[in-house]
Amino acid sequence: MDENVIEVENLVKYFDGRCVLDGINLKVPRGCIYGLLGRNAAGKTTMIRILFGLEPSTRGWAFLLGTESSSLSRKVKGRIGYVAEGHNLIQSYKVGRLVKLCRDLSLQWNSEFFAHLIEMFHLPMDRRVSQLSIGMRAQLNLSLALAIDPELLVLDDPTLGMDTVARRQFLELAIDLIQQQGRTILFSSHILSDVERVADRIGILAGGKLVVDCALEEVKNRIRKFRLIFAESAPEDLHLTEIINQQIQGREMVITVANWNRQKQAMLEIFKPSSSTELPMSLEDIFIECTKPTAVTTASQ
Amino acid sequence: MFTLIKREIEDHLAFFLGAIIATAILIVPLVSAVLNYDPPHNMPVYAIGLLIPVIIVVVIGLPAMGASQMYTDRNRRISAFLSGLPVTRSQILVARIVTGVLAILIVLVPLTITGKVLRSLLLPPIPIYPGLIADMSVTAFLMALACYCLGLQTGWTSSKPTPTLAGLALTFVLIPLIIVKGFGLHTTVILVLFTVASLVCTWQKFKSTAL
Repeated sequence: MDENVIEVENLVKYFDGRCVLDGINLKVPRGCIYGLLGRNAAGKTTMIRILFGLEPSTRGWAFLLGTESSSLSRKVKGRIGYVAEGHNLIQSYKVGRLVKLCRDLSLQWNSEFFAHLIEMFHLPMDRRVSQLSIGMRAQLNLSLALAIDPELLVLDDPTLGMDTVARRQFLELAIDLIQQQGRTILFSSHILSDVERVADRIGILAGGKLVVDCALEEVKNRIRKFRLIFAESAPEDLHLTEIINQQIQGREMVITVANWNRQKQAMLEIFKPSSSTELPMSLEDIFIECTKPTAVTTASQ
Repeated sequence: MFTLIKREIEDHLAFFLGAIIATAILIVPLVSAVLNYDPPHNMPVYAIGLLIPVIIVVVIGLPAMGASQMYTDRNRRISAFLSGLPVTRSQILVARIVTGVLAILIVLVPLTITGKVLRSLLLPPIPIYPGLIADMSVTAFLMALACYCLGLQTGWTSSKPTPTLAGLALTFVLIPLIIVKGFGLHTTVILVLFTVASLVCTWQKFKSTAL
C-alpha cells in the first residue's frame, strides 16, 4: 500500500506567462484530512485540476494513489471521488439520468449509502440539474462522489456559493459522514472555519508557493506573534530567520515568526526588549499573516 | 464504453433521426427510379434531383454532428465531468467516434443492401463490374468518416463561426475528389490519410487541452 496517497514534486504552472504554482512539494499520507487554504486565485483549484489530470502542468510531477496524474487509469479513477469547484455536473440532465450515468460508469456503487444520502439531502430525482439550487447541486455532487466508496476524496471548494445555513448543513451532514469512514480527503476552501472543523493537516498556498504545510495543531504552535517594546527605538533587524511579518512603530515592534524555538527566543533576548507579549493567533490570523505578499515560506516540513 | 456510446447517442438523437430520414429519402427515389426504368430511356430525372440535395445534407450533417458533439462538450464541460468519473479521455473520444461511425452506418448499410438487392433482382443484366457496389460503399463510408472527423476537429479547436464554417467547407473538397478520381484504391488511400490526419490531430488536442 502506498504511504502517501497524494504526492506533488516541484509542481510549476504558468498561465499566460503568470506563475500560478511555483515549485509546490506536497505529500498527503493515507487517512489524512488535508485542508488546502489560499486566497481567491491562489492556485488551489489549479493544483487540484493538475492532480486530477484535467490541467497539464508546466513542470513537475503529481501522483494520485501512486499513479502519475496525467495518465490516471480507469481503475485508479474508480478509487477517487471528486467534487469539482462550482459543482461541474451536466446541467441539461435530470438528476435520475445523471445518477444512472455515474452508476453505470463507476467500478463500484454503494446503492444503500447513496439512497441514504439522497433521502437525507431530499434530492429530487425527476428535476433537471440546472433547476437545483447551488446547495442541492453541492449535495448531489458529494453524494455521487461518496457513492463509489472512494479511498481518496478530493473536494474543491465544495461549499462555494452556499449560504451560511446550507454550508453548515452540508458540513454537518456530509463531512461528519466522511470522517467516520476514515478516508483520505483533500479539502480545498477559503473558508477557514470549514477547514478548521475537519482538517487534521493544512497547507496554505500564497504567491504560488505552499507557505505552510503541517498538522493543524502544530501550525498554531509553530507560528508565533509577539509585541515587543524596547527602551529606545526598536532595532530594524533582529537577525531572526523565518520572519513572516514585521511592523515597527517607534519603540514598538510587532513580529510574526515561523518555527519558533529556544534559539530564536535566545536571539530575541539579546536585544533586551523591555516588554515582550505573545499575541494569541487564530487560524484566521495565521492565514492572513501567511498570505500577505511579503510572507515567506515558513512551516513547510 | 457501452454507457458512453449510449450517452452520446441519447444526447445527439436528432442526428440519428436525421440519418434515418436521409436514408429513407435516398432509398425511396432509388427504388422508384429502378422500378420505372425503361431500358432504352434514361433514368427518371427526379431521382437524381432528389439525390443531390440529400447527399449535400449528409455531407453537411456529418461534420455538423462531429462539431456539435465537441462543441457541446466544451460548452457544457461534459468531458470535465466525465473525467471525474472512472473514464479516461481516450474512452470519451473513442465512444464519440464510434457514435459517428454508427450514424454513418445507419445511412450506408440500408443503401448498400438496397443497391445489392435491386441490382440482382430488378435490373436487366447490363455489364457492371462486380465490385462496383462494394467500392462505392467503401468510398462513401470513408468520405462520410472523413467529413465527420473534420467536424470533430473543428468543433474541439474552434469556438468562432468563421473557422468552423471554413473547416466544414473543406468537406466539399472531398466530393470533387471522388468525381475526379472515381472509386478505387487512389481515392481510398487519400480518404484514409485525410481521416487519420484529422483523427490524430483531434486526439492530440483532446488529450492535451485543459478540461
